[in-house]
Amino acid sequence: MNMPIQANLPENLLMKAQQLVQAGWVSNLDDLLADALRRYLESHSEELAEKFIREDVQWGLYGKH
Amino acid sequence: MPKNSSVKMSNGDCMASTDTTIRLVVCDAGPLIHLDELACLDLLSSFAVVLIPDTVWEEVLYHRPQAIDASQTWAKRVTPTRVLPPDLEATTRLFSLHAGEIQAINIAQECQADLLLTDDTAARLAAASAGIQVRGTLGILLRAIQHQQKTADEVLAILRSIPIQSTLHIRASLLQEVTEQVQAFHRT
Repeated sequence: MNMPIQANLPENLLMKAQQLVQAGWVSNLDDLLADALRRYLESHSEELAEKFIREDVQWGLYGKH
Repeated sequence: MPKNSSVKMSNGDCMASTDTTIRLVVCDAGPLIHLDELACLDLLSSFAVVLIPDTVWEEVLYHRPQAIDASQTWAKRVTPTRVLPPDLEATTRLFSLHAGEIQAINIAQECQADLLLTDDTAARLAAASAGIQVRGTLGILLRAIQHQQKTADEVLAILRSIPIQSTLHIRASLLQEVTEQVQAFHRT
């Protein structure tokens, strides 16, 4: 289910996004914003942060450094 | 990551780094602040060269000035000598990184650093995709046992103090898991 949102965006950012849509890189602005938000959430996720912490533990205790 | 590298310092000097161990480290703000909160900032002094990018330096100076005071003797403040390459610029934008994180990754790549220290998930992803080895505060803390900078008991006490003494965010159950791993390591 999609939910409508209202957001204030910097004008130049919105223009660049619209240019990408017009050039056919993405089908519409809704998809572009959803994709951008998805990528942001993926790269800042708690699961990922915890994965990195576990890697640090292995490296710290058993790594060659 | 063994390699031969040449370190450009802020004063223009170069420092050769040919060891097989980690020698050249670039720091983002998080580990500097968190390690100082845990009274462990001196752990970083075991690396041959520790670079703090300009923007990170200013950020830490604002949020935790005592960490800058404490690191002055073994850390060097550096400014990138190159413009951010287009591929790295695209990567850092993709991950919505802040100025300090961008500068740290740029310097780490420029200097062929052995290690970048950051506690930011997105910065770790971006740095790893740029071919840079990345670790965070906990890695440095646990490394201290192997390097005999701290005993396992001391590290366990520091781990227990994280929720009350530090702004490092770590879920309680994960911290417990880490504690148990250190205890198991200590027993072997």
